[in-house]
Amino acid sequence: MKHLYLTPVVLALATLLAACGSSPKSTSLLEQAHSDYRIAQSNPNVGRYAPLELKQAGDALAQADALATERASSEKIDQLAYLARQKIALTEEVAKQKMAETDVRNAGQERNQVRLDQRTNEANAANIRAEQARQVALLAINDAAQSQADTDRARQQTQAAQMDAANAQQRATQLEAQLGELSAKKTARGMVITLGDVLFGTDLSRLTSDGEASAKKLAKILELNPQRTVLIEGFADSTGTAEYNQQLSVRRAMAVQTALQTLGVGRERVVIRGYGESYPVAANDSAQNRQMNRRVEIVLSDEAGRTIAR
Amino acid sequence: MTRNSRRLMAVLVGAAATLMLGCSSLKTPATADVAVSKAAVDNAAGAGAAQYAPVELMAARDKLALANKAMSVKDYKLARDMAAQAQADAKLAQSKANSAKAQAAADAVQDDIRVLREELERNL
Repeated sequence: MKHLYLTPVVLALATLLAACGSSPKSTSLLEQAHSDYRIAQSNPNVGRYAPLELKQAGDALAQADALATERASSEKIDQLAYLARQKIALTEEVAKQKMAETDVRNAGQERNQVRLDQRTNEANAANIRAEQARQVALLAINDAAQSQADTDRARQQTQAAQMDAANAQQRATQLEAQLGELSAKKTARGMVITLGDVLFGTDLSRLTSDGEASAKKLAKILELNPQRTVLIEGFADSTGTAEYNQQLSVRRAMAVQTALQTLGVGRERVVIRGYGESYPVAANDSAQNRQMNRRVEIVLSDEAGRTIAR
Repeated sequence: MTRNSRRLMAVLVGAAATLMLGCSSLKTPATADVAVSKAAVDNAAGAGAAQYAPVELMAARDKLALANKAMSVKDYKLARDMAAQAQADAKLAQSKANSAKAQAAADAVQDDIRVLREELERNL
């Protein structure tokens, strides 16, 4: 009877003891150490950069766990748990240090690359500056060549102008000589050639052979000086009516014009005027003087073809 | 005989106890542990832990002082424990200082690169 009572009590006690003995004793510090260790283990950088330190921390933690399994005093367990925690913390610091050192190495390479880029840029900039300087020099050379060419051209123009002037002078001299043969007179209106009465035929509309000779000389002058024109003015003496004299003076002028036209001088270069008995060169009081008044005056234009009418 | 043997037994037990005590104190003078810890603390201080890990360095120094105090009262177990903690603290302090310095160097280089890049941009 007594035994029946005792058996379950003994069994319960035994179970309790066994349970207590098999379950390891733990402290809050040890649990924290485990938590820290899991975090360190899950950190890939710790596994990569601090594997040795992680192993040492794991060993330290295992020692603390061993004491816990042996159910040693909390003090002893905490001593080892504390050491394990510090070692676990160490793994993270070592990993950080190694990472930073790796960063420094990589950054050093990057820095060198940037410096290289910098130098390349500087070299490029220098090349560009040199190229610009070369362009400026080329422009300056071009400018110099241009101004040289301008100078040359100006000198040529001067020479040409001088030559023109010389030619004009020569032509003027020639003209003067030719006009001298026609006994031309220099007046305010230009060179004036006077053809006298004797140079006209009896019908007064044709020139005598001497008159023709004078007309030929004049035609030659006009041919050599194509820019010049002539104004032909006919005059009469006071014998007869003024109307008759007017017509007579026009006919004389026309005779010269016709002769010049026959010799190849265009009509447009010859202008005629009949002034009748106006503008006598002498008093109509003697036969000789009247003969002087019966005349044709030929006014030679200037170089631009301008003549000044009376 | 019984009295003799009992006395002998007592003497033997006493001798064994003395021996064990002596041995244990001889085996663990903790002097070496304290010396190693002191070296660890000195190293940490030399690595700039006072600047980068003042809390850990202070803890290491306090524990080293406790270890020395325990040595003076011949509490070798406490001395050993304190020395071990001081060493762990000092090593962590040194490591923190080292990682902080390495990080500062990395930051400086990155800053360098940033300045160089800005210069590069400006020159482009």
